[in-house]
Amino acid sequence: MTQRTEERLTAYAFIAPYLALFIAFLAAPVAYGLYISLHDWHVLGQSRPFVGLANYAALLQDDLFHRALMNTAYFALLTVIPGNAVSLLLALALNARVRGETLFKTLYYLPVVLSVAVTAIIWRWLYSTEFGIINHYLSLLGGPRPAWLNSPALAMPSLAVMSIWWGAGGNMLIYLAGLRGIPDEYYEAARMDGAGALARFRHVTLPLLRPALLFCLVMSLIGSSQVFGQSYILTGGGPHYSTLTVVLYMYQTGFSLYRMGYACAVAYVLFALVLGLTVIQYRLVAGRREDMAA
Amino acid sequence: MMLPTLRRTALAIGVCLPVLLSGGCLRQAPDTVAEPGVLRFWNGFTGPDGATMERIVKRFEKDTGLRVKMQIIPWATYYDKLTLSLAYGGAPDVFICHANRLAEFARYDVMRPVDDLISADEGLDLRDMLPNILAAARYDGKQFGIPLDCHPQGLYYNEKLFREAGLVGPDGRARPPATLAEFLDAARRLTKDTDGDGRPDRWGFAFTWLRTNWITFISQFGGSILNEDLTRSAINQPANVEATRLMADMITRYRIAPKPEGFDSWMGFRQGRVAMAIEGIYMLSSLEEQQGLAYAGAPVPQFGRRMAAWGGSHVMCMPRKLPDDRVRLAWRLIRYLSDNSLDWAEGGQIPIRRSLLKDPRFRAMRVQSAFARELPYVVFEPASHKSTEIMPFYDAAIEASLLGIQSPQQALDEAHRRIGQVMARP
Repeated sequence: MTQRTEERLTAYAFIAPYLALFIAFLAAPVAYGLYISLHDWHVLGQSRPFVGLANYAALLQDDLFHRALMNTAYFALLTVIPGNAVSLLLALALNARVRGETLFKTLYYLPVVLSVAVTAIIWRWLYSTEFGIINHYLSLLGGPRPAWLNSPALAMPSLAVMSIWWGAGGNMLIYLAGLRGIPDEYYEAARMDGAGALARFRHVTLPLLRPALLFCLVMSLIGSSQVFGQSYILTGGGPHYSTLTVVLYMYQTGFSLYRMGYACAVAYVLFALVLGLTVIQYRLVAGRREDMAA
Repeated sequence: MMLPTLRRTALAIGVCLPVLLSGGCLRQAPDTVAEPGVLRFWNGFTGPDGATMERIVKRFEKDTGLRVKMQIIPWATYYDKLTLSLAYGGAPDVFICHANRLAEFARYDVMRPVDDLISADEGLDLRDMLPNILAAARYDGKQFGIPLDCHPQGLYYNEKLFREAGLVGPDGRARPPATLAEFLDAARRLTKDTDGDGRPDRWGFAFTWLRTNWITFISQFGGSILNEDLTRSAINQPANVEATRLMADMITRYRIAPKPEGFDSWMGFRQGRVAMAIEGIYMLSSLEEQQGLAYAGAPVPQFGRRMAAWGGSHVMCMPRKLPDDRVRLAWRLIRYLSDNSLDWAEGGQIPIRRSLLKDPRFRAMRVQSAFARELPYVVFEPASHKSTEIMPFYDAAIEASLLGIQSPQQALDEAHRRIGQVMARP
């Protein structure tokens, strides 16, 4: 046995526990899901006939699935860029070395540690048409009392606002770390060249923050295409399908209707779409290689 | 050099292997193992009805010397657990299944028909059971269980508000409406804008559970969700459109009911901000605990061409794969619960045995006996194995109609298309 082989064996032995769990609980189920998606698989069915790509073909015709795709894209539009803008603004504010920075950092980060269920229940009360604090103050100001979660036009934006509040702190920390990693010399040099605050942000901060930006945008996009808990808990996909997202549709198909084959097909289409989008986004934001190295 | 490396490898494997094995060997606990003399019984009675059921089961244990392991699982997750246990093992000996879920289980052949047990049981007089409720537990000509109860919806009304509005009979007591005209008149007189902001803050009526309210309405107009042999959608038929329009009119035209968006109607009724609501008999216990509320029950008024009221039923069932000796024990529990369903009725249910309905004790339960008058014309959800699958589509159509997102015709046409697709699949 050469030393190289031995080292390799050792390495494998050390990653074995994780690898085994990964295979048992992720890789194998994922592969099994692909297999299920090729069958007419009702949980109670005595037989589960192979149907080839029929489930995928049916998805092409399924206008509710299309609706769910559009809704998910709409949610992503409402959360990815605005959410990252909020995180970046918070990080910029904290980077100014304000007093009580740790306190603010903790406060902004606090929602991130909540589960989606807790967050959703808090916001259900905030959004409540009758008793909600938002409508309470709106009506004190003489404004209307919108049905935040019960009108088709407002439901998805309401979920998006809640999601931004919930997740902004996480990306804020990453941006803050990115900002702290930019050497002061660059700013000094820019200042000497007569660059104002905006110009410094555009030409120093943004390019040097690219790795953090890329990471946060990709992760937010993946996260928002998998949005589920918000609409599952707050709206159940309604009113009138306006918050029916892809993962919620998959869940309902699989776990309320027990049509596992079709649900797995939904999952695989979503997987392909997210993968494609991530690759595109990576290309777009990554830009030149040397930026990545920075 | 070689030894330390090998030792490290061995160490790594030695530490990790047991962890892996213990994880990999975790098996589902063998909860199917039948303990002799112990019956396993699943239901979703998480409310006060659970305590009632527990009392009856305790008495059964005392009377028979058998033991019952009752598991109460919230309805929200109940059918997930039940479905998986019926598909992959671990199902209990006796379980409660709502009449509207029964067809799906029956069609996938995971429940045991009980016709042989009924005919072998000489102490059981089938004629004592209301045939239309019994039929709700039948599929494909086979009886898949015995209904423990029937729970129709009826009209709850606030007696105090009725008296204040002068809606009283000759005896000076609050008089519930019985026809559409009476209902609209009463509701108009009960709807009030007390603080003068242009918005009523007390409503004559409010829709609570849209789906069941809607089924009551369409059935009264002679409509239905599926065609008669349950093979095709019939949801956009004129009768349904007419009934749905009447419901929408109550909100926008007659202005006697709030838009069902973000308004907790049932809480409104409990707090006296809503004077009438059409809800299930099972909501009774939540009224009993409401301090200072003077409520009463009556049959749903006649809105359409005939009397009808939505109802459900808890059916007592057995899984298909149950050994014969367990079947005998399970049947004893089912029989006992049916025989004692008067105790069950106290918690807000209606027995389906004629003898119990005549019992003075039942007649003294004022809301239950008022709603029991609806039993001859109670309407269940369609007994199709696609029942659960088509439900979200009519839910969406009702919501869209009542929120004004679509006209009743548009909404029901859309539901018709979607339900049609579901029904076309095998």
